[in-house]
Amino acid sequence: MDQVIQTFIIGLSNGLIFALVALGYTLVYGIIELINFAHGDLFMISSMIALFLIATVFRLSAATPVLELVGVILLVIAVTMIVSAAINVAIERIAYRPLRHAPKLAPLISAIGVSFVLQNIANLIAGPANKSIDNLFPTTNLLSAFGITTIAVTFQQAFVAMVTIPLLIALTWFVDKTRQGRAMRATAQDPDTAGLMGVDVNRTIALTFLIGGALAGAAGVVQILYNNVTVYNLGFRFGLNAFTSAVLGGIGNLSGAVVGALVLGQINAFSDRFLSANWTNAIVFAVLIAVLVFKPTGLLGQQLADRA
Amino acid sequence: MTTLVVKDEDPYGHGIGGWLSHVGAVIFGIPDTYRRELRLHRRRTIALTIMTVILVTYPILNSAFLAAFSRNVFPLPLPDDTTVTLMMIFGIMAIGLNIVAGFAGLLDLGYVAFYALGAYTAAFLASPHWGSISVVFLANVPEGFPGIHLPFWIIVPLAIIVAGTFGALLGAPTLRLRGDYLAIVTLGFGEIVPVVFRNLSDVTFAFSLGPISIGAQHLNLTGGSLGINPIDAPYLPFANVTFNASAGYAPVYLGMFLLLFAILIARNLERSRIGRAWMAIREDELAAEMMGVNTLRTKLLAFALGASFAGVAGSLQASYLGATTSDFFTFSTSILVLIMVILGGIGNIWGVLLGAVALTYVDKTLLPYVGQQVQQIAPSFPNPAQFNFLLFGLILVAMMRFRPEGFLPNRQRAAELAAHTQADVEAKVDAIGAVDIQAETEAAIEADPSAVLDNTGPPPGQDETGPDARSPETIDEERDL
Repeated sequence: MDQVIQTFIIGLSNGLIFALVALGYTLVYGIIELINFAHGDLFMISSMIALFLIATVFRLSAATPVLELVGVILLVIAVTMIVSAAINVAIERIAYRPLRHAPKLAPLISAIGVSFVLQNIANLIAGPANKSIDNLFPTTNLLSAFGITTIAVTFQQAFVAMVTIPLLIALTWFVDKTRQGRAMRATAQDPDTAGLMGVDVNRTIALTFLIGGALAGAAGVVQILYNNVTVYNLGFRFGLNAFTSAVLGGIGNLSGAVVGALVLGQINAFSDRFLSANWTNAIVFAVLIAVLVFKPTGLLGQQLADRA
Repeated sequence: MTTLVVKDEDPYGHGIGGWLSHVGAVIFGIPDTYRRELRLHRRRTIALTIMTVILVTYPILNSAFLAAFSRNVFPLPLPDDTTVTLMMIFGIMAIGLNIVAGFAGLLDLGYVAFYALGAYTAAFLASPHWGSISVVFLANVPEGFPGIHLPFWIIVPLAIIVAGTFGALLGAPTLRLRGDYLAIVTLGFGEIVPVVFRNLSDVTFAFSLGPISIGAQHLNLTGGSLGINPIDAPYLPFANVTFNASAGYAPVYLGMFLLLFAILIARNLERSRIGRAWMAIREDELAAEMMGVNTLRTKLLAFALGASFAGVAGSLQASYLGATTSDFFTFSTSILVLIMVILGGIGNIWGVLLGAVALTYVDKTLLPYVGQQVQQIAPSFPNPAQFNFLLFGLILVAMMRFRPEGFLPNRQRAAELAAHTQADVEAKVDAIGAVDIQAETEAAIEADPSAVLDNTGPPPGQDETGPDARSPETIDEERDL
């Protein structure tokens, strides 16, 4: 039983990271119906940037004073989010915007191209080997304060939740309550009509990529601080997990993406623990295929009308 | 020009058997097709025949003439025999993917799965892998040698059946999906197949069903991450030729032979009733369905036939290299083949063939050569051969942006893509970009049909698809490429 709970906790932290990336997929798909294949690789680039900032620029280690550590980590998150958002907007401008009216598969193919470019740039700069940093957090079990020793919740897992949950709340608030959020929802429903109603469609799409990129940036920092390791081809596997989450929850549906990501985090964790890590990828893909074949609208359903 | 006699009844009968006999008729119609081609397009057919003859005599040219030529006139390295064989293998793959992606317009991102299935078919049926049994049939191994050893000539049709069956199995539930979802599902399949081959190296299971009980202890089914080797090379019994990597240019001919078959079958398929149905579906699935095309079955056939080409390529690759592991079959291989198709000209057999030859050359000969040169000048500079996919990724992005129809475009496909590009240009003029240009275009064409007649298309080789190239994609029976 303890094992199951422990696996559940691991799955929860996996799922929260997936959620940040899955939201990028679902936002972009919701608004321009593009499977942004390069999004996983953007996440990988973010984790590389975060690694560079932490290990080389600020030289953080477990010995760094707590206040400094917290301040620098917040700074790293902010910088990575900004850089990642800028990269994503640039990608949209170069690779997707010119194809806005092309057949639907053209931007997808372009996105695959971008994915390979990002992967190889990372490989070129960082090399093909795993890049790792030291664990910055204390290794004590947070639950030991409550007298529980058989189940462990680490600082890292708590950190994942502390970064991810506020971001998810902020995003929901932005999309639901602000003027720009309304413009995004309008564009997602019908870009032409939104344009006629005075929404700057191109700017709104760029904004969507900006938000998606920023979330991927945050996810990159969280990933490097949680797993302490990144590699140039991390984005492919991770991106497909996140995309599967988005599909599972109903693509285009924000809360669906989070639910899907949490479910997929559990599937990953339980498969790793009780089956074999070798099979996890195959299981994730099987879930993806099964969802697409049997319930293409996902668990929570698509919020968007099918504009195919 | 091809005359099409519309018959009231289907000459091949109905049902899936009718479709299969249709495919059979296409294959046996190849000599007739050549004769008709010679009559209709004399110059081009002769040119292609000469090109084929040059390709066939390539090894002799290579040793004597071309080597001197490449030293003195054209100072780039010539592909070696392995690379040329790989060109043929990738050519078969590109032609197969072109059926799926080019003719029928279904994006298959997991095409490598069928390549893997073909390779493992060869590995299972022509290697010492099943060491506990011995089946030797017309193979180049001594009697009683452990393992199953079937000749390559039987493995190829089996690989076609295996890959085609899996294509149909994957396609049946998924082909109802929209284009981009289908692409992701195929990608998933392409990832699952190598994982299964990698992981099934230690199978222990047992179950019983009434009186039957089946079980296995630590059964090595697929060779795991080491793969299966050695695999018997293709062997021609009477001429006593073995087509392996050390046989010089003999495998080039074998590859060429299979490639030629692939070309002829794909070309005849393209011009058959099935081919027209594929194109109708590609251009407007709903309209095709209204016209009586059974869209699901037609797409399924495209999927299965396309997969079977990859099966042939896979069995040839495994037999030629004499080994196979799941690491050969990665997502990047699927994308490499896709780039070949897009670069050359999606929908055009000669285009994708050009793409396959050019990209294999760049990947296997040119980049390593450039890499060597770079390493000599600046050893610390990154080796371009390791970053081939940086180049290929850029090619994908640039092609989609500037020339989505490829370098040797299929005329219909180019018009289709140009129609959208045109809409894009006009949408940019219109600041809001909210007007449905396509509907406008179609309305304009309806009002003035002469605009369409003016544009039965530019001659092949000329790629100008000007503003008036946005004719609706009528199925043009008289296309000549």
